[in-house]
Amino acid sequence: MSERLYFEDFHTGQVFTLGTHQIGAEEIIAFAKEFDPQPQHIDPVAAKSSILGGLAASGWHLCALSMRMMVDGLFARAASMGSPGIEEVQWRKPVYAGDVLQLQTEILGSRESSRADRGYIRMRFKLSRLGKSGQPQLVMMFVSSVIMGRKPGLRNVV
Amino acid sequence: MWFEDIPLNVEVVLGSYTFTEENIVAFARQYDPQPFHIDRKAAEASIYGGLIASGWHTAAVWMKLMIASRRTAVASGAQNVQDNFVSPGVREIKWLKPVRPGTTLTYTNKGTAKLDWPTLPKFGLLEGINEARDGSGALYYSFINRVLIARRNPGTPG
Repeated sequence: MSERLYFEDFHTGQVFTLGTHQIGAEEIIAFAKEFDPQPQHIDPVAAKSSILGGLAASGWHLCALSMRMMVDGLFARAASMGSPGIEEVQWRKPVYAGDVLQLQTEILGSRESSRADRGYIRMRFKLSRLGKSGQPQLVMMFVSSVIMGRKPGLRNVV
Repeated sequence: MWFEDIPLNVEVVLGSYTFTEENIVAFARQYDPQPFHIDRKAAEASIYGGLIASGWHTAAVWMKLMIASRRTAVASGAQNVQDNFVSPGVREIKWLKPVRPGTTLTYTNKGTAKLDWPTLPKFGLLEGINEARDGSGALYYSFINRVLIARRNPGTPG
């Protein structure tokens, strides 16, 4: 699928699996040094004695990383116009250096905007860790609405 | 300071952060490379009419300022809460106004509720409302954070 995706192309129940990313200690520490410099995110030794039991990614890093996977996997070819917010973020499990992460996005619904050139797509994002068996374990979930441009030429039809 | 000691409904100013074209583009290139975050020309043609910060950048800055504020409080003896905070998630992230280069936002936090967290009875869950405003008081960003804090007396309501 290389065609550009618009509001009209998203349907309730669709699921997009958006690639995998192996998270490394260096990137965990780099993000945390700038935005979340707690021992469990920047110091592998101190992290071992923390409640998380090892060097783990900042939850905000996981949000940002999911965004990147979303842009690379979907928004780069979609008419995304940003988002007014997130209903809920759940950080379910710590994510450790070396974990292989996979992002899935499920379309929960859509609604038109009062502005003719866009609509809202409600999505559930699930970030999972892939175990050795390939079985995904949910580590983070969030629900958000994304502003999506409408297909040119169809704007006045509906 | 234990969970039981934390006062509710006291607003704390966490600090301020100035968003610049440089830090907006640097964050977005890595985590949210959509045209209206990384490309001035493309951003001018977008619905935003110019570059704006990734919402996750605005969100991550809250964590940065929260950590710095907490450390200042610990250093001054006003607070002895240690790092190693763990959060099960956040709610109601609202990106209310686009954050443009040159905008300085001041972030605040106010505890609003103390809840039990049955799966980790040694901890209590503190919820708070968080806001980011510019110098004129305009609200750009808000969300509800949730953090687990150790109880002095596990098992008793706090």
